Amino acid sequence: MLQKLYSSRFTPERNYQIAKWTFFVIALLLIAFAYVDVGTISIGSNNYNLSLIRLNKAIAYTIAILGLQVVIGYTGQIALGQSFFFGTGAYISAWLIADHSWPFLLTLLIVIPSCFLIGMILGLPALRIRGLYLALLTFGLAAVFPSIVKLDKLYGYTGGAGGKLTSNYKFIAPSWLPFDEVAQALQKIPLLGDFFGDGPLSTREESRLWKFILFSLLAGLCFWLVHNLIRSRPGRAMRAIRDNETSAAVSGVNLALTKTLSFGVASALGGIGGAIYVAEIGIASPDDFSSLVAIYLIVGLVVGGVGTLPGAVIGGLIYALVPDWASSTQSIAFVPERWLQGPTGSLILGVLLIVLTLFLPGGIVMGWRKFKTKLLGKELSTAR
Amino acid sequence: MDLFLQRVFDAITNGSTYALIAVAMVLIFKATTLINFAQGEQAILGAFAVLQLWYWGIPMWGAVIIGMLFSAVLAAGLERVFIRKFDPADHLPLVIITLGLFLVINAIAAIVWRFDPQSFPQLFPSGNAFTYNNVRLTWYSIFAFGSCVLVLVVFQTLLTKTKIGLAFRAVSSNLESSRLSGIKIGPTLQFGWALAAAAGTLGASIYAANPVLQIEPSMMLRALIFSVSAAALGGLDSLWGALIGGLTIGFVQSVVVQYIPFIPNEMSLSAAVVVLLIVLTLRPSGVLGTKAVERV
Amino acid sequence: MTTPLLRVERLEARYGPVRVLHGIALNVYEKEIVVVLGANGAGKTTVLRSISGMVETSGLIEIGGESIKKLNPSEIVRRGVAHVPQGRGTFPELTVEENLKVGAFIRNDKDINNDIETCYESYPVLYERKTQAAGSLSGGEQQMLAVSRALMSRPKLLLMDEPSLGLAPQIVEDLFARFVTMNQNQGTTMLIVEQNAQLALDIAGRAYVLESGEITLEGQAEELAKDDAIRRAYLGA
Repeated sequence: MLQKLYSSRFTPERNYQIAKWTFFVIALLLIAFAYVDVGTISIGSNNYNLSLIRLNKAIAYTIAILGLQVVIGYTGQIALGQSFFFGTGAYISAWLIADHSWPFLLTLLIVIPSCFLIGMILGLPALRIRGLYLALLTFGLAAVFPSIVKLDKLYGYTGGAGGKLTSNYKFIAPSWLPFDEVAQALQKIPLLGDFFGDGPLSTREESRLWKFILFSLLAGLCFWLVHNLIRSRPGRAMRAIRDNETSAAVSGVNLALTKTLSFGVASALGGIGGAIYVAEIGIASPDDFSSLVAIYLIVGLVVGGVGTLPGAVIGGLIYALVPDWASSTQSIAFVPERWLQGPTGSLILGVLLIVLTLFLPGGIVMGWRKFKTKLLGKELSTAR
Repeated sequence: MDLFLQRVFDAITNGSTYALIAVAMVLIFKATTLINFAQGEQAILGAFAVLQLWYWGIPMWGAVIIGMLFSAVLAAGLERVFIRKFDPADHLPLVIITLGLFLVINAIAAIVWRFDPQSFPQLFPSGNAFTYNNVRLTWYSIFAFGSCVLVLVVFQTLLTKTKIGLAFRAVSSNLESSRLSGIKIGPTLQFGWALAAAAGTLGASIYAANPVLQIEPSMMLRALIFSVSAAALGGLDSLWGALIGGLTIGFVQSVVVQYIPFIPNEMSLSAAVVVLLIVLTLRPSGVLGTKAVERV
Repeated sequence: MTTPLLRVERLEARYGPVRVLHGIALNVYEKEIVVVLGANGAGKTTVLRSISGMVETSGLIEIGGESIKKLNPSEIVRRGVAHVPQGRGTFPELTVEENLKVGAFIRNDKDINNDIETCYESYPVLYERKTQAAGSLSGGEQQMLAVSRALMSRPKLLLMDEPSLGLAPQIVEDLFARFVTMNQNQGTTMLIVEQNAQLALDIAGRAYVLESGEITLEGQAEELAKDDAIRRAYLGA
């Protein structure tokens, strides 16, 4: 009976949504202020980093995974080469910042359309190539990206194997933002104040905080746009293709247009993610965009949940944090040290990928929804 | 002319090793229309096992044979645990599972044997079999090619002359009728996986035994791309097509290396992907493959 | 004629949420030819697939008094049930001879080659083409090969799913004549599912009519052939 009252036309649901999002934003800001400096969590003798650097990287991955949600999750095309577009966006942005002194936000105006176009063009073969063949080809694309940017001919643009530094551009927080005031106010909170450091923020801290807020806003914008796209006419066409390509074509869906659009959007999102990644770490270097990255992004997609938007956030966090924390883990009882020093993160991600595909095909998000349904007896929303 | 001849020999050397991995992919694709992204990693794990056995004092070729058996058993296990429960027509979970296996196997190989390149023992006599001016044909090239042909002949015989081979081909031809003829599908496909892994391990061992290369956990990633292109060129479902595809890719690689003054190795990988793109776009059934019949 | 070779009771089958069969009962006795008639979508194919263990079912299916319900397809073949599926039940990439060998997959005896010879004697066309890929045969030849392939397992019961589908009328007549010969000479028991009622009723001893997943009529084939409803529905009279 209850759920009938809470249908979306009624205000309580609306208020609940507003409250939920307000809470989310406040929590995000609190985390930002708490971890603006190098924040660590210690478990045993291991220290785990939770600084904003990790979270900013997570945002970059999240947006790239959001692109995979569009093309794999909602259009059903097995495109594995997201690292290609992640890299393309990163390098275009780095080139404009380093060689032409463009501000970061302005580079997006070039990154987005060019990645969109490249994605559409590279998506053209996908009109003929389907299923596994597409997976193969896109994986090949991901594999060649580092060698393309290392080409001598492109050295002037990409910096070759050494990469392209973008540290000439500094993120300076606008002076009207009351960062210091907020920080000091938070520090005065009894008991919890210690979490928020001491004294006013340094310029570096302010810059980091500003980046986090900027990237979060960008991510929010991307999510909002994708959310609307999925519910629009082209979005319905995408889902129709995913569910059954033949019947979608028969019911008048323009396969060519919808698929290339989906590839374009996915690639543009990959490009934005790459631009943010470079803005965070300050250099675009070839090996940061290898085919391993393409696979990790797939891990993020699957672990978060294929075909769910919040899944991209979880996926981004997992990609940014799991390998990093795995390499920070220096000792665990009963585990030989050798197993902690190798690519443990890769091992964990691989195991996660397999275990989730076997036992929880909808990823963490669908798992949580099922759990909530069981707990509250709410009806599971079928509109994915 | 000398240069060209030398290039042909190089092409044969590289092409043979790609062909062996390609054969492994073809075997699995033939039966299940699945592309195993972990094939290269399974192969490198097998090659490391060979290396380990050799460290323990087992003669080289004995080690190779035990290593092939080991990877065959492992692959049969992987098929049973991770692959069989999925619907073969639903590609995404299968691609994801093989990508997961890729990460896990790669990580385990790196943890156990470390990332540092190690030299792999010689499998074949060293030196040149034939020299003419500047053209050298090494024994390694001859034996690599010979092993590849030998493997293909053995597989061809297994698939045409034995009962399980016949069953395997029946399953790849018509799944329903195979089931109705009393063939147990699961174990038959498992046999394909085991055979594929054995071929892969041999391929990776020969690849690593190349006098100019050393073995390291990620060496198969590049080879995987070349092999995939080779397999696609051969039509993904033909054993001999894999050999011809492998030789062609090897040839493209050598020609590109010689004629284009870019960073050579880096461009050859791109060339392989371009070949893949062209083949898949223009002739998805490959140059030698059987034309696919869309079964509804 | 005490225990039927095949006994089916209260058979229900579903594909996902859709129930296709609603409690079917039918018997096939040894050396009989039994026909199940029905329009498209009546569930004819599902009846055969249920017997072969290819679909989830509930109810009772017995071969020679023993339940085969819990067995998987490969075990059911070993109990003596051969099934020629709809369309071409052949392996197009394999040669004719290999097709026959696959048919004998469950056997390990020495008579396999003899049986192949026997098969070639009855179908010289197959002998001529024994090294050709089955996919290169004509439709009628492929159907013959599919039937021969099924017979290679030396079944007690042969299930045939619309053997006439897609074949020219003369070829169908020839094929059905061969079924009769097979039945008379070797005593092969057959359960045939058909839309082509005219020919099927000619060669069958008994027949069932299946409509929307239920048996609506059953009886001797000759009597059903005279039944007005049948004539209107299936014989175009």
